Amino acid sequence: MSTYYDENELDDEVNLQSGVLSRLLKLLKPYWVLVVLGILSIALVSWLDAYYTVLNKRIIDEGILTRDIETMTRLFWNYGFIVLGQVVAFFVMLLCVGVQGERLRYDLRKRLFNHLQSLSLSYFSKTPIGWIMSRVTSDTEKMGDLLTWGIIDTMWALTNIGFAVYFMLQLNTTLALIVIISLPVMIIVSFKFRIKIYYHYRKSRKANSKMTASLNENITGVRVVKALLREDKNLENFKVLSTDMFRESYRAGFLSAIYLPTIQTVSAISLVLVLWRGGLMVGNSMLSVGTLQAFVSYIMTILWPIQDLARVYAEMQNAIASSERVFSLLETKPEIHDRENVLPVDSLVGDVEFENVSFHYEDGEPVIQNLSFHIPQGQKVALVGTTGGGKTTIVNLLCRFYEPSSGTIRIAEHDYLEYPLDDIQSRIGVVLQIPHLFSGSIRENLRYGRLDATDEEIEQAAKLAGAHDFIVKFEKGYDSDVGEGGNQLSVGQKQLISIARALLADPDIFVMDEATSSVDTLTEALIQKGMLQLMTGRTSFIIAHRLSTIKSADQIFVIEDGQIAESGSHKSLIQQRGIYYNLYTKQFRHDLESKFDPFGGAETEANPA
Amino acid sequence: MSITEKAYQPIDITKIASGNKLSILWQLTSGFHPHYLIANLFTGLAALARTWMYLYLGGFVDQVLKEGVVGSDLIVSALSFGALIVLQALSSFMASWMANFTAENSTRRLRDILFDHIQRLPYSYHSEAKTGDLLERATSDVDTVRRFFADQAIGIGRIVMVFVISFLAIARINLRLAWISIIIIPIVLVVSMFFFKALSKAYEAYQEQGAVLSTELQENLSGVRVVKAFARQDYEIGKFDNDNQKKYRLGRKFAWMHSLFWPLSDIICSAQTIASSFTAAMMVINGLMSIGQFMTFIGLLGWLIWPIRNLGRLIIDTSRTFVSLGRITTILKADEENMTSAAFQPEDGIQGQITFEDVCFAYEKDQVVLEDVNFNCQAGEVVALLGSTGSGKTSLVNLLPRFYDVTSGRILLDGVNLNEYSREFLRSQIGIVEQEPFLFSTSIRENITYGVHREVSEEEIINAAKEAAIHDVILEFKNGYDTMVGERGVTLSGGQKQRLAIARTLLINPRILIMDDSTSSVDMETEVQIREALDGLMANRTTFIIAHRIQSIMNADQILVFDQGKIVQKGVHEELVNQPGMYQDIYEIQARIDSALQEEIERVDLL
Repeated sequence: MSTYYDENELDDEVNLQSGVLSRLLKLLKPYWVLVVLGILSIALVSWLDAYYTVLNKRIIDEGILTRDIETMTRLFWNYGFIVLGQVVAFFVMLLCVGVQGERLRYDLRKRLFNHLQSLSLSYFSKTPIGWIMSRVTSDTEKMGDLLTWGIIDTMWALTNIGFAVYFMLQLNTTLALIVIISLPVMIIVSFKFRIKIYYHYRKSRKANSKMTASLNENITGVRVVKALLREDKNLENFKVLSTDMFRESYRAGFLSAIYLPTIQTVSAISLVLVLWRGGLMVGNSMLSVGTLQAFVSYIMTILWPIQDLARVYAEMQNAIASSERVFSLLETKPEIHDRENVLPVDSLVGDVEFENVSFHYEDGEPVIQNLSFHIPQGQKVALVGTTGGGKTTIVNLLCRFYEPSSGTIRIAEHDYLEYPLDDIQSRIGVVLQIPHLFSGSIRENLRYGRLDATDEEIEQAAKLAGAHDFIVKFEKGYDSDVGEGGNQLSVGQKQLISIARALLADPDIFVMDEATSSVDTLTEALIQKGMLQLMTGRTSFIIAHRLSTIKSADQIFVIEDGQIAESGSHKSLIQQRGIYYNLYTKQFRHDLESKFDPFGGAETEANPA
Repeated sequence: MSITEKAYQPIDITKIASGNKLSILWQLTSGFHPHYLIANLFTGLAALARTWMYLYLGGFVDQVLKEGVVGSDLIVSALSFGALIVLQALSSFMASWMANFTAENSTRRLRDILFDHIQRLPYSYHSEAKTGDLLERATSDVDTVRRFFADQAIGIGRIVMVFVISFLAIARINLRLAWISIIIIPIVLVVSMFFFKALSKAYEAYQEQGAVLSTELQENLSGVRVVKAFARQDYEIGKFDNDNQKKYRLGRKFAWMHSLFWPLSDIICSAQTIASSFTAAMMVINGLMSIGQFMTFIGLLGWLIWPIRNLGRLIIDTSRTFVSLGRITTILKADEENMTSAAFQPEDGIQGQITFEDVCFAYEKDQVVLEDVNFNCQAGEVVALLGSTGSGKTSLVNLLPRFYDVTSGRILLDGVNLNEYSREFLRSQIGIVEQEPFLFSTSIRENITYGVHREVSEEEIINAAKEAAIHDVILEFKNGYDTMVGERGVTLSGGQKQRLAIARTLLINPRILIMDDSTSSVDMETEVQIREALDGLMANRTTFIIAHRIQSIMNADQILVFDQGKIVQKGVHEELVNQPGMYQDIYEIQARIDSALQEEIERVDLL
């Protein structure tokens, strides 16, 4: 999934005026020592690189040609020392850049993750998980690359070219000018090539993710493919995609193959000119053989920094686009946050009251309209009604996952906006319809309810919730791994664990979205018992589907179109013969049917397809 | 560039699957061997041209020094030198181009082969294989092989050729010098192989930690409500930071490895360079060598020493390629389903009369799923299969399109053993409507015509959709029939998906129909519509219904009640309802429910 969002953002237009560059540079502030050290070292490395050539020239001119063994030996020793110096600088550079890069990536991921924790639920309901994942994983990598190797390679290339030019000018101005004139040509050609190559490379990545998606679908849907004899046609379709991939990848490869030879050919021209002019000068003893050799080697090595410069430039566009997306995520403000002068509480025991509460999402469609009710402490409320009526929104408002657009919600006689968000959410226990567990052991998942709970307390809670019995049947008991998202457990087991988890948290208010999916009778009974445990003495809001839950409620709200359509006790509502009566009879039938149906059985059959 | 996209020569999978790794690689590049040969020839030519260039440079210097120069000679010499560079450049280009050509073409073919092979593997293979694993092999392992063709295969040859040619050229100048210059080569090779091996391990650990981090992030994001409900943000931050730090530490280790290897190997290589250069310089001074030769030597020396580190990398990468290749060939070794053997094909199609004779079936030995199943149904009849989960209903219908074959006994279609029909023919005669059919992420139109092996007019599609009671739903979408389904389009409910499959099956018009009749995911209004759509579909076709509810099968011509792989009751509704047994029990529940409800309401009213 993350590839999808990543590769889809191919045509990123980058606006360099937006200050993204200066923000990027600011990111480097904490590591400025490493950055500076890295840059200084690389500058030293390239100065010594350029100096080798000069040294070679001196060895030829002052040592070999004059047969001065002493000078030559000295120069060779110098050579050795320079190697040592360069190696040390190289080492410092590699280490600085490597460590700084890791540190930067680490910090970026951390900042993003921490920021994500502060964002409101509404952000996550409108932003695909894959999109967020791409920001934290691949975009931070790209930013890291740009801010480490991007900088170092650029510095290396610039200093390398600079020093080479400097030494050439020192050695011989005429020849140096010949080389210098050829530089812009090589640079322009390089940039053009690199940009094209990178363009095709990214297109091939995009084609690749399409191809993978197609293969994935064909494997997942293989039963349909086989039943409908679609093999030939699907292969034909796949070939279109694999040909796209081939074409882009081939083009990138072809351009890469032709690129280096092209700039080599350009450099051949300056080399020919240098040899001709230089040769003449050597013949007239106006130039030493060593100098000529030095020029030849400068021309032949100056290609590399130019290449690097072009590569960094081509990839920079993309990395900057990544940075913009990361910055935009970091700038997103949480919609729900603590007000000023909050009133810390450690208990939310008290009545719950909704007063003229309305709520609408950003797009303006009202979901809840003018809702008012008053629940005395300790009462159980069942919310019933058709899907989309607003039941979930009511509990989301209660948990302050969202805040009312207008009206007031009071808990224990205070507008709940006066409380700190954390205090509210840690005092309200929530059991979701589809229980979410985290990878790890059962114990770790239970402890999520209260981090400082002892093993005894955890077991106690599991016993109360009716989860203990099945847990100890596992080979590793409480230390059994629940698998990714809890997929090693059945839905019923996950529910029991999430009830135990909520029990452990010992909340003042309990909110539950009852599951619609059927579990086997035994588990069902356990769940009912566990819920009863949770509801005892706590103000409870249940989005109810089970008749037993509904019937045992102190108040029943029938929610339709964001309003309370009917309310009262089970008896009074039945006698009304209204919406509730219809819902109830339908549910009654359904329950009995599934109860008596020997084929419905326990949890729904896994489709073998 | 259009010639490059022409069809490639097909290759025989069985040949690839057998044989050792090298012959597999050879097979995979078949058709491109000439290109590959050319690539290698030009690699050699490039190396020759470069060496020649240095020889020429040396000669040039000696000539200039010794004889002085005439302007015109000089131009010729300089131009020749330039020409050598261009020759070298052109050869490099040809070599890279041809290697790239071979790599991309072979890989494209391999991708296609794998795609096709995977979809033609028997259903039993797929029910056991993990999607992610198959996907991984068909994508990243294939890419590893591609890189081998593009980089390592040609790179190793290049480095070896450059080495040999440079060595020979130096040896011609001075044999002793040549030997002296390669003293450290084995050390560098061994050290770099050792390093790159360790590096690739460290890199894997780093990547794995990255995956851990991703999973953690994903769980945090998908469980955001739980995190908020328990106000566990700080705990999550701590947990993530812990793993994030681990990744940081692994990355730092990685950085240290690079920081140590490159400078250290630099020292070794430089020591060799200095020692050799010094020896050569002394030779010049002692008159054993000319200054031109010295310059040639200096130039070639670099090509002798420095690429060896890279050779170490390439060798390690190659060993990883073989691992990937092995993973790919295990897939290729699995046999495809034979679609066309057994060519019995009645001229005027099939009627749809089906007989099961003592059919037994087991997925694995000793795990009998169906036991002694006997029944007979006439063409056009409706057979309802009833039974709890795991009683064998699904396995039975899987036998009809020959997703699996019987273990013993036989199934007759129109009096002919099912095994005598080809799978291809059978599947073209059988339509399947599942409870929640798999849809492909393409348009609604294409999903309806999916598997209809003929041109279908717009009118026909609409008629089928109307008959399947899905037309109105489709028109409600902004793009109508062109609306995309799935991740990038609309999400359809289970019932809507089922009706799309009904429309599709209507267009295919098969003689035999297999239907999973479940309306659990459908609300009341649409249930009636689906009922009608299904009735229309079942008319005049031999139909097998996997039933979950008694109402939907009361009109069946035959009802088979399954328990643990055996038929325990058989007959029509009127018979079964009067027989004590499972069927009767179920039937009576309906009546019981009504009275129970009545009682309940009365009780509440009276309270």
